[in-house]
Amino acid sequence: MNLERIAFGFFIILTLSLNYAFVAGGLETPAHHNIWILTLTIIVNLVAIGLKLGDRSQTGALLLASGLVAGLLLITARVVWIVAESGGAGGPGPREMADIVSIATGALVANIVAAVILVGDTLLSRR
Amino acid sequence: MSQTSDLDRVAMIVLRYMRRPLFALLFVYSIGIMGMALMPGQVVDGETTYMNLFHAFYFFTYTATTTGFGELPNGFSDEQRLWTIFCLYTGVIAWFYALGSLIGLVQNPHFIQALDRFRFARKVDRNREPFVILCGFGDTGSLLARGLSDHRKRAVILDFDPERIKALGVRDYTVAMPGLHADASAPKHLMAAGVDHPACLAMVALTNDDDANLKIAVMARHLNPRLPVICRSTSARHEANLRALDNVTVVDPFEIFAQLLYWAIARPELHNLNAWFVGAPGVKLGAPVQIPRGNWILCGYGRMGRWIHRYLKAHGIDVRIIDPEMHASEAGEGTVTVQARADHSALVTAGIDDAAGVVAATNRDSDNLSTLLSVTELNPEAFRIVRQNSHENQVAFDAARADLVLQHSLTTARRILKLLISPLVQELIDWLAEREPAQTKELVARLQAAVGEEPPHLWSVRLIPGEAPALTEYLDAGGAVALGTLCRDARAFPEGLPCEALAVRRAGQSIMLPDKDFQLGIGDELLFCSVHRVESMLQATLHNPYTLRYIVTGVDEPRGYVFAWLEDRRRRRSEHKG
Repeated sequence: MNLERIAFGFFIILTLSLNYAFVAGGLETPAHHNIWILTLTIIVNLVAIGLKLGDRSQTGALLLASGLVAGLLLITARVVWIVAESGGAGGPGPREMADIVSIATGALVANIVAAVILVGDTLLSRR
Repeated sequence: MSQTSDLDRVAMIVLRYMRRPLFALLFVYSIGIMGMALMPGQVVDGETTYMNLFHAFYFFTYTATTTGFGELPNGFSDEQRLWTIFCLYTGVIAWFYALGSLIGLVQNPHFIQALDRFRFARKVDRNREPFVILCGFGDTGSLLARGLSDHRKRAVILDFDPERIKALGVRDYTVAMPGLHADASAPKHLMAAGVDHPACLAMVALTNDDDANLKIAVMARHLNPRLPVICRSTSARHEANLRALDNVTVVDPFEIFAQLLYWAIARPELHNLNAWFVGAPGVKLGAPVQIPRGNWILCGYGRMGRWIHRYLKAHGIDVRIIDPEMHASEAGEGTVTVQARADHSALVTAGIDDAAGVVAATNRDSDNLSTLLSVTELNPEAFRIVRQNSHENQVAFDAARADLVLQHSLTTARRILKLLISPLVQELIDWLAEREPAQTKELVARLQAAVGEEPPHLWSVRLIPGEAPALTEYLDAGGAVALGTLCRDARAFPEGLPCEALAVRRAGQSIMLPDKDFQLGIGDELLFCSVHRVESMLQATLHNPYTLRYIVTGVDEPRGYVFAWLEDRRRRRSEHKG
């Protein structure tokens, strides 16, 4: 057992779970999506990226890349939310909401890829 | 250079062949078109119209090629129709003449050959994968090509016989193997085959003619002095010539055969190991053929018979010889010889009753097979070794149930393949042959433990940044890794992977069977024997710096900056306390 692996696995899987929690629900319904969950996802994702910095192995590089993709998309979704909020009264409308959720769904794919790599690498090295 | 000359040749043949038909076409076209333009057409508004030159050309084009659209663009006058009849016959005849010449050209053997050469040279020139040049595509050549294809290595094939090159086209090789029917000893064909191509690994001269092989080797030497050449030779005179050239390996099929036969008789464990390495079917490691000791009868005293006799006599095995054309003095003092064909009576005279075994080694398969029948009848206990000359007679030899069938084209092809794919394996076998049998037995026991029942997988790794980045980096940083450490299993530290390092090549020197404490250095080439699965495990160790560190120290080091920093702090604090 390795503390680094536990920490990294925790953050990767937590990102995935939070990301799904944010995305789940109607695409255009603002009531189904919580801004706090999105913000938390970004923070957890950034921690996971930080933990992977400095790893020189191939899987490490791939995990870092997928983390960066997820981070980029999640931050984009957050920025769209901010812009939509400032524009009108009381939060994003259905159109903006659809944009935000679809971008976050893209981030979900990157997070799934990262989780699959993590699990696959662990199973292949079998120790 | 050779490419343009081939292209020039193709162009020249085309021009020479097509000159007359092209002139005929040109002539008929000009007459027809000019005539058509001059013929008075229909009268419109009291004025005679004429066809312009473009329309005349258009008209002639569809007429001469017998397409015939009709009277275009306007209806014709009677004069024009008369001229049309003339145009039709002359034009169609000229076209047929030109087409016939073109078809004749495509079937012209010189043209086909020139085109083949051009295509072949272009194919070789564009190839970027490493390849081997194979001169001679007989039994041995085709077996070697098959072996190379199994190892996914490319070959470029030259043979004098067009039928063999045609046969090459219908083989199902796993990689592209371009072939050309040409005299391989001509330098321009060697150039076309890529003798100075940067991706050319080696050249193998395998024709049946020793003179031709020598010539090929000498040509290749001059055209590219760095290219390793493997040359088949059966005569002492040629061999002496070839040995004088550096970078040339001489392969004598008869000697290889005799050597294998001697190993089979006197060093069964080595023969077994060798057969297992080359992947001969039905060979089980550690279960050598049990061959009785005693007197042997050798049938046939040709070039191969002489080699066999020399080998066996040198190692103290008593041989009696049966051959219809030999003189008793040839075999030396004290050798029993029978001057006859190896039939019933000759075998009885040679003392088949108390012989341990018989080697039927004439160059005729029918003789060898009939000798086998006689031996089975006279002494069923005798061990029967038979030489198979032609690959085509495989089924008959399978049915004959000899104890050991040796086919010299196959043994030669395997030896050359070993030299090409993993020269260290051959060095190891030769090294073991010079040492006590106990050493071979020990190696066999180790390999049995490592590989078990599976077929062996041999592979070599060079410790250079391209093939083993993690390890070279570690060694560069001043780390030391022993061979035994490298072979540890990262999944079950500190257990070893089931693999054996057979040899190490360092700075031109070969170290056979290195032990576990052998310290690895950058640039070493390691030869491993195990199963496929293990190679990927070892590759992971060689490529991943963390796996390498883990198998060296047994500690999983932190990977990211954060944990490396934490680890550093923790260590410093504990030092501080201590």
